[in-house]
Amino acid sequence: MACDETLRVQAYLDGEVDAASIPAIERHLETCPTCQAVAETIQSTRMGLRNDASYYHPDAAYRRRLFEKLEREGLARGRPEGRAKREFGRRSFWTGAATGGLAASLAALLAFFFLIPGPSDSLPNEILNAHLRSMMANHLVDVVSSDHHTVKPWFSSHGDVSPPVADFTREGYRLVGGRADFIAGRRASAVVFRHGAHIINVFVWTDMGENLPAMRGRNGYHLVFWKSGNLDFCAISDTALDELIGLETLLKAMTIPDSRE
Amino acid sequence: MDERHRRFEALALPHLDAAYNLALWLTHSRPDADDIVQEAMIRALRSFDGFRGDNVKPWLLAIVRNCHLTAAKRRQSRRQVPLEGGAEEPPAQMASPEANPEEASIRAGEQRRLDAVLRVLPEDYREVLILREMEDMAYRDIAQVTGVPIGTVMSRLARARAALRDKWIAETERGVHGLR
Repeated sequence: MACDETLRVQAYLDGEVDAASIPAIERHLETCPTCQAVAETIQSTRMGLRNDASYYHPDAAYRRRLFEKLEREGLARGRPEGRAKREFGRRSFWTGAATGGLAASLAALLAFFFLIPGPSDSLPNEILNAHLRSMMANHLVDVVSSDHHTVKPWFSSHGDVSPPVADFTREGYRLVGGRADFIAGRRASAVVFRHGAHIINVFVWTDMGENLPAMRGRNGYHLVFWKSGNLDFCAISDTALDELIGLETLLKAMTIPDSRE
Repeated sequence: MDERHRRFEALALPHLDAAYNLALWLTHSRPDADDIVQEAMIRALRSFDGFRGDNVKPWLLAIVRNCHLTAAKRRQSRRQVPLEGGAEEPPAQMASPEANPEEASIRAGEQRRLDAVLRVLPEDYREVLILREMEDMAYRDIAQVTGVPIGTVMSRLARARAALRDKWIAETERGVHGLR
């Protein structure tokens, strides 16, 4: 049985519809067997392709050869400018890059452990763990709502921290709900947004005067920290860094008028 | 030159794995994927000055895809007698464990089976599935890589998913018989 809505259902499952149309699609999906079958196909093939199909990587020798070729390509073009000194520098880069992902992830890991100053050492770890925990076991949100008039009062009665809550659907960040959580042994509130196919947790806790780590990435996740009023914030997601910064900007913009009042 | 290299290294090189995976799924052969990715990366580096925009991945993968199409045409015209099925060489016998029961027991895993099914899908189905599900790319970016309108990406994805499911089910049933 054909249904006119199947491409919209597909777009919904691909994270391609604006938040305003989501409720209607979800309602349709509840009652349409054709679209339920389509959704089932999308989910099973997605699981298969992401978990069971091969993802091919170039081997180390190939990477090395390729980087040498690119280096020569660069040198051939650079020669007229006569930058003999640079050549050695570039060689070390391209050859060094040949070890590829391994070296990069090692460097990221080292940077992660050594660059964070004193007391905040474990904070990004704690936040990453809290983020991962929230994605499992259906504990993403305690209060499900895309309406900030529902989420905000819920925080007032369930958390020590009452963070700014708003729905930025038009900007691409749909409010999903809120959750009470613990970060580094203290109570925190988590405001949950959906951005495309990605979940963003914004953790908020009372500023105790500590320095916050700089923004960083880890294992494909990005973390952005900021202070606003008497609160500390950390947004975390596997979405692009720019998109987290976009949400930071929106949240900062709405907290400033509050503090002036 | 240095500025261009720095930008290339920061923006394009992180997508080397994606480029390689796509090339291998298009060619089914490591030597061919090696050549295509190398050609694509060099071509990308050469034209990187002309790249405007903030999304390198679809731009780079489009170059990989073009290099593949050119190479496939070249291979085909070199051949006196083209193989059945044209430029694409789906190793169909590998897809069917029944054809080779010994292979079947070795390739009994889910991964082997799904790889085999994906390998025999039409190329335009296979590439949208890889870009969407393995690379998590947006419709807009898939449209850029494949050079078709977004509407076509959507309908093609829907058909590709249905085809993958149907063949996967058929393959699973056949695999069970083959092992008996």
